[in-house]
Amino acid sequence: MTSCSTARLRGLLAVLVLAACTLLAPPARAHPHVWVVMKNALVVAPDGTVTGVRNAWTFDDMFSTYATQGIPSKTPGAFTRDDLKDLAEVNVTSLKEFDFFTYAKLDGKTASFTDPVDAWLEFHDSRLTLHFTLPLKTPVKARTIDLEVYDPTYFVDFSFAEETPFTLAGAPAACTVSVHKPDDAALTKKIQRMTEAQFAEEMSNVGELFGNKVMVRCP
Amino acid sequence: MPVISRRRWQAPLALCLGVLAVLVVSAGLADALAQSPFGVRTPAPPPASAETGLVGWVLAQQAQFYRSLSGLIRAAKADGTAMWTLFGVSFVYGILHAAGPGHGKAVISSYLIANEETWRRGIVLSFASALLQALVAIAVVAVAAVALNATAATMTEAVRWIETASYALIVVIGVRLVLTKGRGFLRAVREQRAEAGADGGALVLAPALSGVPAGTGFLHAEPHRDGLARSHVHGSAIHAEPAAAEPHDHAHHDHAHHGHDHHHGSACACGHAHHNDHDHAHDHHHHDHDGCCSHGPAPAELAGPGGWSRGLAAIVAVGLRPCSGAILVLVFALSQGLFWAGVGSTLLMGLGTALTVSGIATLAVGAKGVASRLAGAKDGRGALMVRGLEVAAACAVVLFGLALLGGYMASERMI
Repeated sequence: MTSCSTARLRGLLAVLVLAACTLLAPPARAHPHVWVVMKNALVVAPDGTVTGVRNAWTFDDMFSTYATQGIPSKTPGAFTRDDLKDLAEVNVTSLKEFDFFTYAKLDGKTASFTDPVDAWLEFHDSRLTLHFTLPLKTPVKARTIDLEVYDPTYFVDFSFAEETPFTLAGAPAACTVSVHKPDDAALTKKIQRMTEAQFAEEMSNVGELFGNKVMVRCP
Repeated sequence: MPVISRRRWQAPLALCLGVLAVLVVSAGLADALAQSPFGVRTPAPPPASAETGLVGWVLAQQAQFYRSLSGLIRAAKADGTAMWTLFGVSFVYGILHAAGPGHGKAVISSYLIANEETWRRGIVLSFASALLQALVAIAVVAVAAVALNATAATMTEAVRWIETASYALIVVIGVRLVLTKGRGFLRAVREQRAEAGADGGALVLAPALSGVPAGTGFLHAEPHRDGLARSHVHGSAIHAEPAAAEPHDHAHHDHAHHGHDHHHGSACACGHAHHNDHDHAHDHHHHDHDGCCSHGPAPAELAGPGGWSRGLAAIVAVGLRPCSGAILVLVFALSQGLFWAGVGSTLLMGLGTALTVSGIATLAVGAKGVASRLAGAKDGRGALMVRGLEVAAACAVVLFGLALLGGYMASERMI
C-alpha cells in the first residue's frame, strides 16, 4: 500500500465517477419512427356542453405500409374502409394504453376520456388516416378548453395539418380557437442548448417539448 | 461450508444495493436540478451551456435522415443510381441512430468494463451484435412478410417475443457477472484486510481469507448442477484446478454461476496459459505476500477460445432485438418491389451502428484502462477499486436488463 498515494486514489475516484455517470445516464432517448398529421375537432352539443374530441390522424407512408402489410384487399395496394376494419379496432385499443396521446384541461381541470367511438381507417395516397372520436368521461360546459397532443416518449411525432388543423364542431360562434405548433427553429435551438444531463433528465417526457397545444376560449 | 457460501451470496447483494442507493440518490439530485430555474421546463430559455448540444443535434438529424428513406426507396424504383444515395443515407442514419436509444451501447460498455475485456474484443462484440441485429430484422421481414404475408400485428408480436428473450438474456449475463465479480471483489476486500493484518506482524492470512484454520488451504463447497456438492481443496502450495491431477473434469459442468478462485500460496506458478481451454469465469487473485506472481488481471487470457463463446452470449443478448426502423424500411421496400434495396439499407444501417457502438465501447475500455493505471493494478486498494468498478458495471448490466424487461425504458418501443 505504500506506493498508492492519496492523489492517485483521488484521480481514480474522479475517473470512476465520470465513467459511472456516462454509463448510468438513462439510455431512454427516442426519436420518432411514426409521424402523424392531425386534423382534430372539438365536439360541442347544441347547449354548449363539450362532449369530446374528434380526431383524424394521417400516418406517414412508411408506417402506413407497415400497418397494412399482409391485410387482404381486392385491389393490391388499395384498401377499403371494410378491409381496414379490424386494424382500426386494434389501433384504438392500443392507443388506450397511451391515453390516446391527448391531454385535456377543461376550465383548468384535467379531463379524462372514455373508450373511443366511431373509429375507422381510410387509405388514400398510400397513407392511412385514423378517424375516431374521444368522448369526455363527464361532458361539461367549459369556457376554457386546453388540449395537448404528444407522445411523451417521442416515438410518435404529432403535428397539426397546415389547413384546418382544429375546428369547433357545433360550438357557439363566439368561441375562438388558437393552435400552437412547436416552432421547429426555436425548438432545435432549445434542444441544442440543453446539456447531456438535462437532456437525459428531460427525455422521459421529451415529447412534451414537441407538444401541440390547442386553446379554445368561449365567452 | 454453508457459512462461506451464504457469505458469497450476501455480499454481492449488499454491494448491488449500495450501487442502487447511489443511483437513487443521483436520480434525486437530477430531479432537484430539473426543477430549478435552470431546468428546461421553465418558460425562460435555459442558460447557454458550455457543452455542445450534440444529443439534440443527433436527434434532429436522425429524424430527418430516417424520413428521407421512404422517398429514396421510391426514387430508387425509378432510377437505380438513387440506390447509392439510399445506402449512404442508411449508413449515416445508422451512425446517428446508435448514438440514441437502445442498440446495447450501455449494455456492451458495462459488460466490457465488468469483464476485463480488451478494446479489440469490444469492437468485435459491437460489430457482431450490430450485424446480428440487421440479420434478425431481415429474417423477420423475409419470413413473416415475404414468405408468410403475415400482418404487421403478427410481426410486432414476433419482435416482442424476440425482445423479451434478448432482455432476459441481458439479465442472465448481468447476474452471472455480478456473482463472479462480486465474489472477486469480496476476496480482494478480505485480502486487503489480511494484508493489513500481516503488516501488523500477525500471521493470520489464511483464517482471514477463508475462515478456515491456517494450513488447510482454501476450502469451498459449491453446488454443482448435478446436485452434488463438491469440495475443492486448494493446497497452500499450488492450485490444483484444473490441472490433470483434478479428480473430476470441469468441462461438463455449468460454471456460469460460480467462479473459481485461485489462491496462490507461497510457491505459486505464474503460467496461466492452461486456463484458456475452459470457460469458467475465473477470478485470478494473486497473493503477493512472498513477492510471487506480481501481475494484474490479464485480459488476453480471457480472450481465449472459451472467452469467445462467453462473448457470444453478449452478442446474442444485444443483437437479437431488431430495431423498429430497419423493419419499417424493409417492409416499405418490399411494398415497392425492392426488397433487396431494403436489405442493403438495413445492412448499412447496421454498419453505421457498429461504428458508433465500437467507438463507445473503446472509450469505455479505455476509461477503465486509465482507471486501472491510476489505481495501480498491483496496489491492494487500487485493485480493490477497479474490482468495485467491475461489480458496479455488472450491476448496471442487470439493471439495464431489468428495466428493459419491465418495459420501464420505452426507448425502442416497437409499434
